[in-house]
Amino acid sequence: MPAVSKGDGMRGLAVFISDIRNCKSKEAEIKRINKELANIRSKFKGDKALDGYSKKKYVCKLLFIFLLGHDIDFGHMEAVNLLSSNKYTEKQIGYLFISVLVNSNSELIRLINNAIKNDLASRNPTFMCLALHCIANVGSREMGEAFAADIPRILVAGDSMDSVKQSAALCLLRLYKASPDLVPMGEWTARVVHLLNDQHMGVVTAAVSLITCLCKKNPDDFKTCISLAVSRLSRIVSSASTDLQDYTYYFVPAPWLSVKLLRLLQCYPPPEDAAVKGRLVECLETVLNKAQEPPKSKKVQHSNAKNAILFETISLIIHYDSEPNLLVRACNQLGQFLQHRETNLRYLALESMCTLASSEFSHEAVKTHIDTVINALKTERDVSVRQRAADLLYAMCDRSNAKQIVSEMLRYLETADYAIREEIVLKVAILAEKYAVDYSWYVDTILNLIRIAGDYVSEEVWYRVLQIVTNRDDVQGYAAKTVFEALQAPACHENMVKVGGYILGEFGNLIAGDPRSSPPVQFSLLHSKFHLCSVATRALLLSTYIKFINLFPETKATIQGVLRAGSQLRNADVELQQRAVEYLTLSSVASTDVLATVLEEMPPFPERESSILAKLKRKKGPGAASALDDGRRDVSSNDINGGVEPTPSTVSTPSPSADLLGLRAAPPPAASPAPASTRNLLVDVFSDGPAAQPSLGPTPEEAFLSELEPPAPESPMALLADPAPAADPGPEDIGPPIPEADELLNKFVCKNSGVLFENQLLQIGVKSEFRQNLGRMYLFYGNKTSVQFQNFSPMVVHPGELQTQLAVQTKRVAGQVDGGAQVQQVLNIECLRDFLTPPLLSVRFRYGGAPQSLTLKLPVTINKFFQPTEMAAQDFFQRWKQLSLPLQEAQKIFKANHPMDAEVTKAKLLGFGSALLDNVDPNPENFVGAGIIQTKALQVGCLLRLEPNAQAQMYRLTLRTSKEPVSRHLCELLAQQF
Amino acid sequence: MLSSLYASFSLRRNAVDAFRVNVIHARQQVRSPVTNIARTSFFHVKRSNIWLAAVTKQNVNAAMVFEFLYKMCDVMAAYFGKISEENIKNNFVLIYELLDEILDFGYPQNSETGALKTFITQQGIKSQTKEEQSQITSQVTGQIGWRREGIKYRRNELFLDVLESVNLLMSPQGQVLSAHVSGRVVMKSYLSGMPECKFGMNDKIVIEKQGKGTADETGKSGKQSIAIDDCTFHQCVRLSKFDSERSISFIPPDGEFELMRYRTTKDIILPFRVIPLVREVGRTKLEVKVVIKSNFKPSLLAQKIEVRIPTPLNTSGVQVICMKGKAKYKASENAIVWKIKRMAGMKESQISAEIELLPTNDKKKWARPPISMNFEVPFAPSGLKVRYLKVFEPKLNYSDHDVIKWVRYIGRSGIYETRC
Repeated sequence: MPAVSKGDGMRGLAVFISDIRNCKSKEAEIKRINKELANIRSKFKGDKALDGYSKKKYVCKLLFIFLLGHDIDFGHMEAVNLLSSNKYTEKQIGYLFISVLVNSNSELIRLINNAIKNDLASRNPTFMCLALHCIANVGSREMGEAFAADIPRILVAGDSMDSVKQSAALCLLRLYKASPDLVPMGEWTARVVHLLNDQHMGVVTAAVSLITCLCKKNPDDFKTCISLAVSRLSRIVSSASTDLQDYTYYFVPAPWLSVKLLRLLQCYPPPEDAAVKGRLVECLETVLNKAQEPPKSKKVQHSNAKNAILFETISLIIHYDSEPNLLVRACNQLGQFLQHRETNLRYLALESMCTLASSEFSHEAVKTHIDTVINALKTERDVSVRQRAADLLYAMCDRSNAKQIVSEMLRYLETADYAIREEIVLKVAILAEKYAVDYSWYVDTILNLIRIAGDYVSEEVWYRVLQIVTNRDDVQGYAAKTVFEALQAPACHENMVKVGGYILGEFGNLIAGDPRSSPPVQFSLLHSKFHLCSVATRALLLSTYIKFINLFPETKATIQGVLRAGSQLRNADVELQQRAVEYLTLSSVASTDVLATVLEEMPPFPERESSILAKLKRKKGPGAASALDDGRRDVSSNDINGGVEPTPSTVSTPSPSADLLGLRAAPPPAASPAPASTRNLLVDVFSDGPAAQPSLGPTPEEAFLSELEPPAPESPMALLADPAPAADPGPEDIGPPIPEADELLNKFVCKNSGVLFENQLLQIGVKSEFRQNLGRMYLFYGNKTSVQFQNFSPMVVHPGELQTQLAVQTKRVAGQVDGGAQVQQVLNIECLRDFLTPPLLSVRFRYGGAPQSLTLKLPVTINKFFQPTEMAAQDFFQRWKQLSLPLQEAQKIFKANHPMDAEVTKAKLLGFGSALLDNVDPNPENFVGAGIIQTKALQVGCLLRLEPNAQAQMYRLTLRTSKEPVSRHLCELLAQQF
Repeated sequence: MLSSLYASFSLRRNAVDAFRVNVIHARQQVRSPVTNIARTSFFHVKRSNIWLAAVTKQNVNAAMVFEFLYKMCDVMAAYFGKISEENIKNNFVLIYELLDEILDFGYPQNSETGALKTFITQQGIKSQTKEEQSQITSQVTGQIGWRREGIKYRRNELFLDVLESVNLLMSPQGQVLSAHVSGRVVMKSYLSGMPECKFGMNDKIVIEKQGKGTADETGKSGKQSIAIDDCTFHQCVRLSKFDSERSISFIPPDGEFELMRYRTTKDIILPFRVIPLVREVGRTKLEVKVVIKSNFKPSLLAQKIEVRIPTPLNTSGVQVICMKGKAKYKASENAIVWKIKRMAGMKESQISAEIELLPTNDKKKWARPPISMNFEVPFAPSGLKVRYLKVFEPKLNYSDHDVIKWVRYIGRSGIYETRC
């Protein structure tokens, strides 16, 4: 039998609920509910009016059915009727139903609002409270619009009861949170502040919550609350535990109010008024003192309440961050908690300490607890506490204790929970990088990291170590030695193989002297790991092998053998296959010079911000990363490691290690194609010249010096990277034209448009037209990458005496070229005199921060100013004879480079600029041409004769001009075309 | 919950727990008969509160599994009657024995009750002679697995039941939207020896074929023949003969079995017509009048007639007036249920109800679910007629005329609904 209470209890409801609970199946329950709904419907429909009790009962049943998850679409009217009842229980059930089931039905809302309005206007505090609770519970916009103006009035009215004021404050808070724009600010705000002085503690508590929320939006309106809050706080803090009667909780006076007041004070900076400030400091000290007192009760509630106040106090102290004395005391207090029995307390202490550690006053104090924290990390049972301990270690780390902390974290990593391993790995990597005193330690640390938790070492971390090793000459040898040793472990992580492969491929030569790590040993060590690795790692290792061929020619045969193996050449993975094929061909086809150039050491990385820091920030979200970002340890700036020392007494002295990354250091001497090009090395072979030997790594002192004065460029063969970062260099800075410039130029001897130059960054197209001694040339610069080129500046340079021979006017182009965009430059050219060498085009820009420069020969040759001349055979021979001085004639006999086709030859000669004269030469196979070269100063007549010999595949070219250097030059130019 | 687990390789006993947790006691009612839990498929059928589940990890033919489960139900019902918790508890050993026989290594073998009864007996094992044992072997492995030899009855008797269920969906105007009949022919045979039987019915194809031979018969019986859409037979029927001659000949198992199943969709005799009339009087009142007309020979009597008239969800009160039978508003089912015990053919009966409604906030209109009906009539709504059932027993000396044959037709309602 269900227990049914008598009296006011609703028997029908109790029976119904027990019926439902006794239902065996879902179907039975639905049947019972259907039956009950039909019953209620018939009751509500019934002609005779229901009394309040039955209405209440049925509304209750409907509510219960609704809460069971069934739709209720009637009974709202009855509930609204209940609102006008004078009985508390009926009104309460009515409001309950409305709060739970109200929807934005305009008709009903009007009725409900009316009822609420009546209740608010009534003098009965219980009814007013019910109405306020209903408004707060519904909290809809309609409700807000209807009552937002009334509630503040009730709140500050002198004659409102305390309980009503309390409800009104909380109701207003709810409305404000739901729709801040609805709550009007007005003169009541000032009076709300005075509620802090209210006799009734409940009102004060509610008011503080309201003010804390309101003052976040308009702090100035509520500024007066500071002094009131401070005085209220001091009264509570100094009161004896029995003073506050109802508001004393396990001997702690008004803990909730205290906490809320302290939170409110955290919305504002420290009070300016000295008296108020003194009083507040006194309060805070009292709280700290009280924490030292023996507990008045053994109950956990007592200590919880006390500690809640204490932690809020410490938060306020940290927020003010101006009272060194308090900060240190707070720190000491937290230090005691670090060894407390309560897990929650330890957690909170560690968390608060994290913020304390970022304060300059208490950083040192926090550091004194390092041993305890390390101990917590090792022995703590609760994972979340260990996590906090790791956070705190990270926060308290500076140069003085970095080694200890990093080693402890590394040790912890071996047993750490899987969930936080990656984060710890990142933290260790950052700390090691940030506070590294010497590079060998850094390299050791990271390699240890990979050894211990290789799976959790993200790409960013091992990329970073490679970047640092590549950028710092002095650590390369050590790094090579260390990875070599690390790789000797029987089982090593794939990330270790990646790092090892890369470093040995770059710097394996530095340890090759040692017979224990001779090149074959290095190779066999790496190759022993090859088959256990993933495709990405294998690809990397293949690159390492080809680098080995360059570094150690003696390994060439072995490595070629490996590359030639069917498992490589016919690998199912297209990337591996391609690499194997290309590397094999490269190693067998290219000369050692080419090989040396192609496989040159990687240039330093231009990257500025540590990618792992970015990753940590991403991982933890903006809030969590704040510990990294606050002033003292601002790491996001360019200067990662050059931060100011924690205590202001220590002057920042840049030590040799101050710039571990050498980011400010000048670019290194040797330069080769951009880092991205490693993937398709073969495409990028521009040069067959000798590669610059990497200079020996400077000592740290030298490196430091090199920061201060950028070294002069040493390399005679700067291919693309130009060491001098000057924005607008003089002509003397122009590098020599790229090796293939002549070849490129030759393409344009007979034609006027086409692609002048192309690499993986840039494409230069040209289109030109010439008339007499004038010409116009359009240059098109196309950015082939997706990154903007900066400081883009193409310019034309006239080497030597060309300035007097050729005048070129250039128009400046925009400094930026967006990714994928093309810019056009127009050149106006005037030929003053005959000239021999073409002008140079120098293009400079910054791509991804790295300066790039390129020098080409502009396709302007003397023959461009040819004016074809038609003449009869007789005239031709007459002139031919006139130019019979030995120097006026230039003759060349050469082998044909291209198939001998009369039509093509004809077209070429026409493109060259001369007129073709038919029926001049008795031999129809021969070509005869004539033209005048137009310059501003003089005109040069020009006659040419080309005699092909199809059998011998030879040509004889004879040129006669009125100026002998021109003859020679034209002869050379033209000869290359056939 | 009781579970008889047939041991199969690669499955653990905890599969039972998984099924119990995930299907039987699932939060939401599991509606699919196939459930996949951790790469294991559970096929289940439910008989009252007993769940029969087949479990596999392989990709098996689901239809076969269900066929097996239903067969299993039939076998169990044949052995100990109703499948209930009590019965299963009492026959635990028997069920294991049956399973051992029906399934070998997880593959269904012989699930024919008649055959099983020869070697799994409820009355304990009688000592069998060697002869009998060898007979069992030859019978189990032989051509006619469903009938043993040497059956003798003093009275050769057979019962033929044609059971049909008629499904209908009709528009308010009386237009048939969809209708079909699914029927079964169940036979109970008590015949001696190995009788060869031949079953004939008014199948359109057969009639027309015969009609070619005798032209005068076509006109007479053409109207009476029915078109069977599809049919399935008991394994005893010689399918090759059916395919070639469309004649149904077989050696029947002893006892009860389902000879064939079929489905028809054309020329269905609808035993009842429901004429609904719903009128909304204002927002708070609904008048419903339903007339049912019986549409068969006046000499026949329909039984167990039940008409279910759904009521709106906001019904607050119902008044019902009916001429015949009893009608009642069942609030728990949101419907008026009108029951008539018996009704002769070509009659008509009427119910009228006034439904009072409670105005609600919801503007949703009542969906008007269809009026459904249940009944039982003593004829086949598909029009199927048994023309003959001939029995030949060449070895024993009884002829077709000596066999006493009983034929019965029962038509039941399936989903028989009329929109209103």
